[in-house]
Amino acid sequence: MTAVQERQEQPGKSAEEERLEAELRREKQRKWFWRILGYIVVLGVWELSSGWVLEENLLPGPIRIIQTFPEIVATGRFFSSFGATLTRIIVGFGIALILGSAIGLLTQIKWFENFFRDFQTVGLTSPGLVWALVGLIIWGFQPMGWIFPIVMVTFALVSVNIAEGVRSLPKDLIDMAKAFGTPQHRRQREIVIPHLAPFIFTAVRFGFSIGWKVTVLTEVFSSNEGIGFEMRVSSQLFQLDVFFTWVLSFFVFALFLEKVVLQYFERRFFHWRQEVSTA
Amino acid sequence: MAHIKIANLRKEFGVGDDKVVALQNVNLDIEGHVFVSIVGPSGCGKSTLLNILSGIETPSSGTVDITQDRHDANPGYVFQAARLLPWRSVMDNLLFVQPDPDAPEARERCQRYLDMVHLGDKGDKFPGELSGGMQQRVGIARAFAVEPDVLFMDEPFSHLDAITARSLRRELHDMWQATGKTILFVTHDVGEAVELSSRILVFAKGGRLEDDITVDMPFPRDAADENVAVAKAHVLKKFEDLDLVAT
Ligand SMILES: Nc1ncnc2c1ncn2[C@@H]1O[C@H](COP(=O)(O)OP(=O)(O)OP(=O)(O)O)[C@@H](O)[C@H]1O
Ligand SMILES: [Mg+2]
Repeated sequence: MTAVQERQEQPGKSAEEERLEAELRREKQRKWFWRILGYIVVLGVWELSSGWVLEENLLPGPIRIIQTFPEIVATGRFFSSFGATLTRIIVGFGIALILGSAIGLLTQIKWFENFFRDFQTVGLTSPGLVWALVGLIIWGFQPMGWIFPIVMVTFALVSVNIAEGVRSLPKDLIDMAKAFGTPQHRRQREIVIPHLAPFIFTAVRFGFSIGWKVTVLTEVFSSNEGIGFEMRVSSQLFQLDVFFTWVLSFFVFALFLEKVVLQYFERRFFHWRQEVSTA
Repeated sequence: MAHIKIANLRKEFGVGDDKVVALQNVNLDIEGHVFVSIVGPSGCGKSTLLNILSGIETPSSGTVDITQDRHDANPGYVFQAARLLPWRSVMDNLLFVQPDPDAPEARERCQRYLDMVHLGDKGDKFPGELSGGMQQRVGIARAFAVEPDVLFMDEPFSHLDAITARSLRRELHDMWQATGKTILFVTHDVGEAVELSSRILVFAKGGRLEDDITVDMPFPRDAADENVAVAKAHVLKKFEDLDLVAT
């Protein structure tokens, strides 16, 4: 909403415009105030609890973690572990995205929709832990051991979303294109894909967040690298400050992906929608 | 020049209790440089007829056949609702239906028709940023910009204010006169039909073609002109005789 108003800004502003702008500014300030306060309160309670409620060894506070962070980075393991985990999720979720899209698109065919319907539900509801264990039992530390659980947990999310998009294809626009004799490939590119884009986006957003969890889980069980592995090692060695540093870095990274990377792409793809989320 | 032939056309939707007969026993021969208005009460199959002619719907029985000089040419269609791609700019919406959107002439042509509908400066906007009437005008420009031999228009001016509608009616008329197109024009407005058409088709509920009136008066026709008023009264009388007046 704000983006559009900024674009149309003109030299002579009326009192009403200024009032509206001031109102929007205040709205934004209020939003940030509460958001930052959220951080202060949560981190504050955590810092205080460390030592008061639980021993500092059991629950290291945020200040301690910030101190530990450079130590981990210095070992060189920080980036290699993040890299390893990220590679896994990209490979695993990449496969799920391709597989899920194919299944989602195929649900246009009636028999396939019925044929596959309940397996989709199974994919959606089964817990990641089950697949992580199955992967470990069958493949051990081989790549399939982590690829399989990620794919199993996320592909249905993709296929369900794409199928939803396919079901709601805008018939009026497709008819319009047909009436004008627009070639098939242009129809696909200009109508079908833009229509499916938000569905794919939702799939990626949820798929990624669930994929993360499963990836880390598989690393805890069946890996000798990655964030999950680091968490396991540090907890086994009872280095809880290191453990929590990994946990927190993980949170920060997930937040960064969601709020910066995904939202950047969302704005780029959907700038035609005036109500892009301003969060 | 184009030639449209419709023989024993029938169109039904649905089955059993839901069955609707949208068109029946329609026989028509429309040839060359004519402006044909289609009038009739809501639900009498006007849009369905245009949809069948443009290939969106298929007939339940009977045949339609359109022959044109340029055999690969496509008709233009102004839909009852604008039907624009919400994720593309106004200009890109026009280019979308061009035979060769990358050709520089295509862009020029589209700009010319945007100017014609008084939206020359709105090419960069998204449809969602325009009013309903403006969107409708984009739909009109889009159909004109393919410069078709056959043009279907489904109540194109009904959402517009009186002044814009009058200006566009004039543009449409001039274009028709200048180009020798075949135009099929659905309207609720008998005055508009009499002002613009060389021929008026009157449809009745159930999709029957009830009357086929040739309007043989010189253009331009002024609504205030006595002959035009007489012709309009004549068509309205037919409506009453056929009991087509909306209740
Ligand atoms: N896709 C469809 N599915 C089912 N019924 C339809 C469909 N399209 C049209 N009909 C029915 O066919 C009949 C004719 O519809 P049509 O849209 O052609 O009417 P119209 O003359 O254009 O009316 P209006 O003046 O209100 O636009 C109506 O009874 C309508 O309900
Ligand atoms: Mg209609």
